[in-house]
Amino acid sequence: MTEVYDISMRKKAEKHLAQMEGRRRLAEEALRESEERYRMLLDGIQDYAIFMMDPRGEIVSWNAGAERIKGYTAEQIIGHNFSRFFPPEDIARGRPEEVLRMTAASGRHEEQGMRVRQDGSRFLASLTFTALRDAAGNLRGFSEFSHDLSESKESEAKYRGLLEAAPDAMVVVNPEGEIVLLNLQAEKQFGYHRDELLGQKVKNIIPEGFAERLIADALRSAEDALAQQIGTGIELIGLRKDGSEFPIEIMLSPLESAEGILVTAAIRDITARKKAEAHLLRKMDELNRSNEELGHFASIASHDLQEPLRMVTSYTQLLSKRYKGKLDSDADEFIAFAVDGANRMQRLIQDLLAYSRAGTKAMELLDASSEKALQHALINLRGAIADSGALVTHDPLPAVLADERQLSQLFQNLVGNAIKYQSSGVPRVHISAAKDGAKKWSFSVQDNGMGIDPQYFERIFGMFQRLHKREEFAGTGIGLAICKRIVERHGGIISVESQPGQGSIFRFALTESEAKS
Amino acid sequence: MKAIAGDGLPVEVLLVEDSPGDVRLTQLAFRDANKSINLHVAWDGVEAMAFLRREGTNVHAPRPDIILLDLNLPKMDGREVLALIKADDSLKIIPTVILTTSDAEADILKSYQLLANCYLTKPVQLDEFEALVKSINDFWLTAVKLPHQRQSE
Repeated sequence: MTEVYDISMRKKAEKHLAQMEGRRRLAEEALRESEERYRMLLDGIQDYAIFMMDPRGEIVSWNAGAERIKGYTAEQIIGHNFSRFFPPEDIARGRPEEVLRMTAASGRHEEQGMRVRQDGSRFLASLTFTALRDAAGNLRGFSEFSHDLSESKESEAKYRGLLEAAPDAMVVVNPEGEIVLLNLQAEKQFGYHRDELLGQKVKNIIPEGFAERLIADALRSAEDALAQQIGTGIELIGLRKDGSEFPIEIMLSPLESAEGILVTAAIRDITARKKAEAHLLRKMDELNRSNEELGHFASIASHDLQEPLRMVTSYTQLLSKRYKGKLDSDADEFIAFAVDGANRMQRLIQDLLAYSRAGTKAMELLDASSEKALQHALINLRGAIADSGALVTHDPLPAVLADERQLSQLFQNLVGNAIKYQSSGVPRVHISAAKDGAKKWSFSVQDNGMGIDPQYFERIFGMFQRLHKREEFAGTGIGLAICKRIVERHGGIISVESQPGQGSIFRFALTESEAKS
Repeated sequence: MKAIAGDGLPVEVLLVEDSPGDVRLTQLAFRDANKSINLHVAWDGVEAMAFLRREGTNVHAPRPDIILLDLNLPKMDGREVLALIKADDSLKIIPTVILTTSDAEADILKSYQLLANCYLTKPVQLDEFEALVKSINDFWLTAVKLPHQRQSE
């Protein structure tokens, strides 16, 4: 007898199984597709490095962005520890382990820091680490999601272009004093390759005076601390890779960034300028010394010349006094020439001495009464005033910062000239002073004399410059040169206004006395 | 009063001066001013001190009533002579007049610091020089009262 089984149950079960199988296949396919899409998605991301690590930091997955940014292919890197992305000094201080520890502790860790590519070059990266845990909370690994901060940002590209185009060395430093960006000029100036400097302490190339400025003291914010330095050139010493030092001037400006306040430093090699400055100082020193010697020489020469000259003058005068009219007329004439020559030489030496004194004597500008100085000059001129019948008048004159003796000499020469250079009539001389600006007094000495042709205005202040024949007016041609020197030694300018036949006005300015009188 | 010009005794003047031209001019000017002057000349500082201390050939040298002292001298300059005179108790009462070409501020100051009795610069013009010598005679040898040092010796 044939057993008859009801197979309907089995068929049902088989059908169910087949359905189950179909669903499983579908689900598997869906999963595969999903994983595929996920991988494609990750691989499609070129701008970000995305990879996973096991709990010890060994790399288990690698995307195309990671390959592009870090330079390793998946085959090269999977199975290796992620610590190799850190600079050696960070590895030495256990930074990779620390990062994992922090990530594990808080689930997530973000940082910006220097990283090393496969070829050894460095770049500044922005990184996010995430701890991966299963449903039970066991740590299964980590993911890193990072990108290269030094690329692909348009604004940064512009900034970089600007940086490279700058004529000075430019270095961008973060608040920790680390170099995050630099230009070609900086590489050249300090003799390093760019990668050798990125991430390094700026102290390595500018040992003193820069890093200190970045770190604000407790009382001030970094911005405040920096604000004081902005725009001012700070002179420091730069240190090249070869250990040589060179003088630099740096200008700081702040730069806000995602990392906080960065500082851009423009660094200028001022070796040439320093040399020029030193050269200038040396030259000025030489000039001063030579001026001093010249002044010394002039004074000694004048004094020593006085002695023999006095002999010539005195004895020719004695000859003239005792023998005039007792010898023949030729002898009288010869003696007269000798007396005149000796007298002129005497005046010349005295004027030269006065000129040399006006320039070489240490100037002491004190509160001086210009009125007193004028009075003193007029006393010295009393003979000339009496002889010519000159009328000398003046306004009230102010207290000024001056060497009173030199001021007196100045008045004496100007008033003396005003009296002397007269064609006819009674000389009238008027001295006045007018306030010129906040701290200056403009003096004028005005006369009704013969005047001066404007073409000679420059010339008359020169040494030994004379406009008249000796028979017309005696003089050494030094008087106005002395005036010019005195006024210039007081920081002023002397000028003249005149027309022939219209009289002259000599003007000069002096600084007002500090003590209010 | 030591009426030098009137007491019959000649007036003794020591001129310390190295320039023969100046010595001659001074002699001429004094002759015009005062006939009773004995002008003694020391040509340098060492000679001047020997004269004043009556050393060597100067045993019988008279004590001068006034000393006219130039500053720039050979061997020992006027400043040193002045310092020695003013450091010597018996010599320091003799009026010592600096008579020099220098009008340098430093020389003037230094001379008075060394107790010069007055400081005169030699004028260049002959008539001014003569007038200066006359004024020395009128003041130092006529107007001023000096101690009777000479008589007490």
